[in-house]
Parts: sequence; C-alpha cells; structure tokens
Amino acid sequence: MLVLFETPGGFALFKVLKEGKLSNVEDLGNEFMTAESARKMVKLKAFDKFDNTSEALEAVAKLLEGTPSKGLRKFLKANCDGETLAVADSKLGNIIKEKLKIDCVHNNAVMELLRGVRSQLTELISGLGDNDLAPMSLGLSHSLARYKLKFSSDKVDTMIIQAIGLLDDLDKELNTYAMRVREWYGWHFPELAKIVQDNILYAKAVKLMGNRINAAKLDFSEILSDEVEADLKEASVISMGTEVSDLDLLHIRELCDQVLSLAEYRAQLYDYLKSRMNTIAPNLTALVGELVGARLISHGGSLLNLSKQPGSTVQILGAEKALFRALKTKHATPKYGLIYHASVVGQAAPKHKGKISRSLAAKAALAIRCDALGDGQDNTMGVENRLKLEARLRTLEGRDLGRLSGSAKGKPKIEVYDKDKKKGSGGLITPAKTYNAAADSFLQTPKVDSETGVKEKNDKKKKKKKADDEEEAKTEEPSKKKSKKKKSEAEPETVEPAKKEKKKRKHEEEEAEMPAKEKSEKKKKKSEV
Amino acid sequence: MTHPQRRRGGGGRGRGLATGGGGSAVRGRGSESGGGIKGGGKVLVAPHRHAGVFIAKSKGDALVTKNLVPGEIIYDEKRIFVQNEDRSTVEYRVWNPHRSKLAAAINIGVDNIWIKPGLKVLYLGASSGYSVSHVSDIVGHEGCVYAVEHSHICGSDLVNMTEKRTNVIPIIEDARHPAKYRMLVGMVDIILCDINQPDQATIIATNASYFLKPGGHFMITISANSIDSKLSAETVYQKEVEKLQMEELKPTEILPLDNCEGDHACVFGGYRLPRKQNS
Repeated sequence: MLVLFETPGGFALFKVLKEGKLSNVEDLGNEFMTAESARKMVKLKAFDKFDNTSEALEAVAKLLEGTPSKGLRKFLKANCDGETLAVADSKLGNIIKEKLKIDCVHNNAVMELLRGVRSQLTELISGLGDNDLAPMSLGLSHSLARYKLKFSSDKVDTMIIQAIGLLDDLDKELNTYAMRVREWYGWHFPELAKIVQDNILYAKAVKLMGNRINAAKLDFSEILSDEVEADLKEASVISMGTEVSDLDLLHIRELCDQVLSLAEYRAQLYDYLKSRMNTIAPNLTALVGELVGARLISHGGSLLNLSKQPGSTVQILGAEKALFRALKTKHATPKYGLIYHASVVGQAAPKHKGKISRSLAAKAALAIRCDALGDGQDNTMGVENRLKLEARLRTLEGRDLGRLSGSAKGKPKIEVYDKDKKKGSGGLITPAKTYNAAADSFLQTPKVDSETGVKEKNDKKKKKKKADDEEEAKTEEPSKKKSKKKKSEAEPETVEPAKKEKKKRKHEEEEAEMPAKEKSEKKKKKSEV
Repeated sequence: MTHPQRRRGGGGRGRGLATGGGGSAVRGRGSESGGGIKGGGKVLVAPHRHAGVFIAKSKGDALVTKNLVPGEIIYDEKRIFVQNEDRSTVEYRVWNPHRSKLAAAINIGVDNIWIKPGLKVLYLGASSGYSVSHVSDIVGHEGCVYAVEHSHICGSDLVNMTEKRTNVIPIIEDARHPAKYRMLVGMVDIILCDINQPDQATIIATNASYFLKPGGHFMITISANSIDSKLSAETVYQKEVEKLQMEELKPTEILPLDNCEGDHACVFGGYRLPRKQNS
C-alpha cells in the first residue's frame, strides 16, 4: 500500500512496509515514536518537488477543491501501479479513483499512519530538513492566504475616498489660486478680468502675453474666441492699470503655470477616479454615476460600511443636519441627500424627485452590497436596475399625462380651475414678447366707457393663462387714475394682474414699473382705508 | 493587578517571581508603559513563573512578553523599554488580560500553560492575531505558531501581522476541516483553541488527531453562552470536559475566568498522555 502525503515542498509517496500492523490502529502510533521504527514502517518511494511557489500554490489550491492537479496526476500515474493509495481526503480519493483508476482508501488506520508520517517527516524524507520545510511552509501559507483573501490592490476602496477628497481640495485650491491671479494681474490690466470670465482661459491669456503691451502683437486664437480677442486687444491699449516690472511678471506667470498644471491634474484625477470606481464598485457606478458613488463611499467611510446601511439611510446620506433637525422638531424629513445629484433624480420632474430618490436609494443599497460582498466583477446588476428605475420614472410621468389626456374608460378628469395652481413646468414658460405699451405716454385720461370696456376685456382675459402686457398697461393706467372713484373693484383687478405678472418672468421695464405702481397703489389703498 | 484566589491549590505565590532561577530582575525605564503602569516611573521587569512571560512591576503589575519584532505593535498596546547592562534596549509588550483569555488565565494563576520557548503551537481561532502575537513572542524564533482563522476580515489583519513575524504561519481556513491545511502544518506540541462554537470539542479533537503529538497539551476556552445558553455555566463546562475526555483529550485544569464578561472558563489538558505506572 502506498501513502500520499502532501508537504509544503512537494508530494511524497510512501510505501508501507509492514502492512500487518495497520489492523491494530491504536498501537500504530507507537510505531512512529522513534525514527528507527518509523523507517521500518514506511519508506519513501517517490517525491515530486514543487518547482516554485506559484506551482505549489496552484497544486494546493486544486487540492483544497478536492481535485488533483496535473503534476499530482502525473506523479501518481508514474508511481502507483497496482497498489492501493491511502489519502487524507476521501473526496480527493474518489476523484483519483475515477480519473486515474487507482484504488484509494481512507480510514482510521490511514489517519494514524499519516500522523505517524507527519511526526517523523524530516527523518523519512532525506533532503527535506526542518530548515527547508519552515520557509517553504511560510511562503506557501502566505500565498495561500492571499489567494483565499483575493488580495488585489484593485479592490481597495481607500483610494476612492482619498481621490474624492483630493478632488474637492483641488477645486478649492484651484479657485483660490485663480482668484489670486486675477487680483494680482488686475493691478496691471484690470479690464481683462471682465473680458475673460473663465479662470483657466484667464491664466492662459496672462501666461501668453505677460505685459499687456504684448497683447496687440500676439495671436490668442488658440485660447480665446475672436470677439473676446478683439476686446482684449482693444482694452490692452486703453487700459488703466499700472506698470509692472519683468520680475513681477515672472512671478505672476509662475502662478499661472501652477494654475494650469493644477487644472490639468484635476482632469487626470477625475479620469483616475472614474476608472477606480468602475473597478471597485461597478454596479453602484452604473446606477448613480462615478462622482455620486464616490461621495457615498467617502461619506460612509468604506464600501463595507456603506453596504451595512439600509436603503433609507443611503437615501438621506449627506442631509444629516436637516434630518435630525426635522426629527427633533417633528417636521417632514428631507427626501434626498447626496443622491440628489444622481442623473436619474436630476431627470425627474420636481414632483417625482422624492419617489425616484427613494427607489434609487433602495436599488443603490443592493448594488453596494453586491459590490462590497459579492464575487462578480461586472456591472450587470447595476445596469438592469438602472433600466428598471428609468422605466419607473416613465411610469410616474406617464401617470400625469394620462390624467390629462384621458383614460380608456372615458372622459378625462376635469379639474376644478384654480388660478394659483402651477400648470406645466411652472416657471419655465416665458411669456411671449409683445409690444410694451407701458412705455407709451398718454396725453389724456380715457373715458368711463372705455374703462368698463377694458374691465370686461379684463374679465375675459383672466381666464387665459397669460395676460397681455397691453391690457395690463391699460388697466394699470386707468385704474391708477380712477382708483379714487372706484376703489374696491379697481384694486383687486390691478392687484391680480400685478400678482400674475410677478409669477412670470418680466421684462426689466415692467419690473421697474410694477413695483412703482404697486407702491403707489398700496399707498393709495392705505390713504383710502 | 492583584492575584485573586486560585482555584487550584499548590505552590505559593512567591514561586520564582522576582528572584526565580536564572532570570534577573532588570530595572527599566518605564516609558510608554501601561496596563496599570504609569508612564515615566521606574519599572521592574521580572520573569514570570511561566517561561517566556514576564511581569512588569511599578504601581500596578502588568503581564508582558518580550517583543519578537522590536518596534512593531499590533494595535496600540503599550511597550516597556528596559536597558541592559550593555546599554542595549530590550522591548516588552504589555499583554492585556481583557483582550486575551490566555493572559487572563495566567493572571488568575494557572499551574502550567505548557507554552515554552521553542515549541510548535497550533492556534485555532486566531482572530486578528493579538493573542497569537504574544504566543509568538513566547515561543521565539525556534518555535512556530500556526494561526488558523476563518474570517476574511480578521484574516487580512492576521496576514498583515504575520508579515513581520516570521514564526507565525497564517492559515485562512475553517478549523473544522484540518485536512484543508494538512500540507502547511507539521506536528505540534500544543493546541490552543478559542473559537466559541458549539461543536468546538469535535473541532479540537479532529485537529488533535491530525497534528497534536502524543503527550502534547491543549488549552480550550469555553464560553458557556456560546455552547448552550439555556444551561448553567458549570453544567456546560462539565459537558464539554466529558466530550473532550471521550476524544483522548484529558483535562488537567479547569479555570473559570472571572475577569471576563460572561461565563468563560479555560480548560488545560493533555493528549494521549502516557499511562502512569501505578506504583
């Protein structure tokens, strides 16, 4: 009978010399008490050494799954003809039997035998001393441990937290430096600050020209558009700024260099962050995007920590101040925190943001758990859930439309008219630009008839969503003059159009008019009352 | 820390404490010392009755072990630096009995921990490696500690710790299946078991059958609530002891750990001890 014994250095095959002793399991241990008796009991038949740690790791990893590696199979085939093989793992034994047609055995006697061999291992295998075994064992155990823990530096989420922190810091620094450039160079060429709004372009322009005198000669087409360039060249000639020496300009230019390099680095960092997010948390990235995902992880402390939070927490992460204030004062809690900046929530109408944010948070919590604790490296789960969310958003919006256009059953629901209710997208609808009669100057007061006529028109117009500027101006003027005569009727009329006006975007003239008129009306109201 | 009543009778407290054979008491500069020791004062480090363990005495007593890797600490334990006659500094790490059950057992006054410098130890339930590090300090470079821990989170801490200490071999496996790490472990002299599983008697028995040499020893910590929370602590300890005895693991000492929260006990014993001749 042969015994298969695995060592950190390789596979060993021992031949059992005294098979009769195997029947007495209890005393078997005694046979191995000394090296002498051990050698009488078993003899080393063959030894298959591992060439290097990676081979060892592979062979052992296979063993752990219960299958023999290629090296082991070859070894056994070469040496095991016709004999039964004693193995430590019955599962392994079964597979060896199946694949290599070698009978395997595993029982108490085998266990005792293995114990014995193990205790006398160094004696039985010449050439494998204690000194050799220890470092091999150490190396193999470390590689095995790493293999088990799947140590990949790719999966470390501290990188994300650091990167996002750095991104925020960089933004602040960039802004500070850019402001400093503006202020510093502004002594020399103040007009440039108003001409070039963007920080990076400003720095580039300053770097290019240095002293404003050079501006006329140089070509700014790479940095600025033609208009701006023309403005710049014009302004440089008539500028009010002081003169600066070359040394000062040198330093200003250095600062501009800093600004530009920081801006470039920020772009690189953002790319790095995106790639890391896709590696570490692909599902979360698919759902909410890189930036929001990174902020969530950073807020939670680590991906693992975040995975322990329920969906409701993920929803209001970042709005803790509002949350606890609301809880303490028994008000409504915030509906979204960091998650507000996700694109899915951004796409939703304001009415639906709360619902979508809740659904998104629930799916995001699942995605986080998938990323933190799961084995998969792909983002299928995230993508699927995103599609589900978008479908839900469409359903929500569809419900609104359905209500207005009618259902399959019958007539659409007719809502009670409420003049104050915002229809459509509220403030986004701009009133049409029409002829502004308010700018006209009247020479005489209109008659009473026209006034009533105007009032009737006014009543009709009330039912429309938008009021024309003309009639408003007309109603303003006569009501202003006639307010002393007709108080109650005129005032609500004028106040209402005024109110309506306020709700929509106004022209600047009207804005100037309205408050003035309102004030005068209010004053009259007060004086009358 | 005063020595409370020891459950086992036997020798007096003064057995080889400050002036015991061999080791000399060395006065140390007590910087960064703790666990009851105030920093800055004079600290006396004396060998403990158990080989490899030391006691640092100042206002209070603390259990310390000699740091195998000077300069490295595991989490934030305090260190005591002692200057020898030849101006070299020896570093000792404080062993916290609240964190490590073995330290608690030593403090209570167990007869024999069986761990000596140069031995091979199998530690089941290594966790992040705190107690393992102290055991590794005791056994020194000639000895070896095989640390088995199943959890990945603790496992990664363990692996980090073992990178510095070359006499600890990390094994991230379930201790229930010693066959899975048979290629990494040789025969050991002691098994320490701190896993708190209801089937821990079986676990230690299987591991012993694979790796524990005949005449070897073991220590197992029993948390009564982890085994069976309905029964009383003493009943649980008795039952565990019986289970161990059935597997050729003969207990020699049962030590209730009073300073731990919950009902814990430590059982020390031997494996396949040679039968005593009845004289």
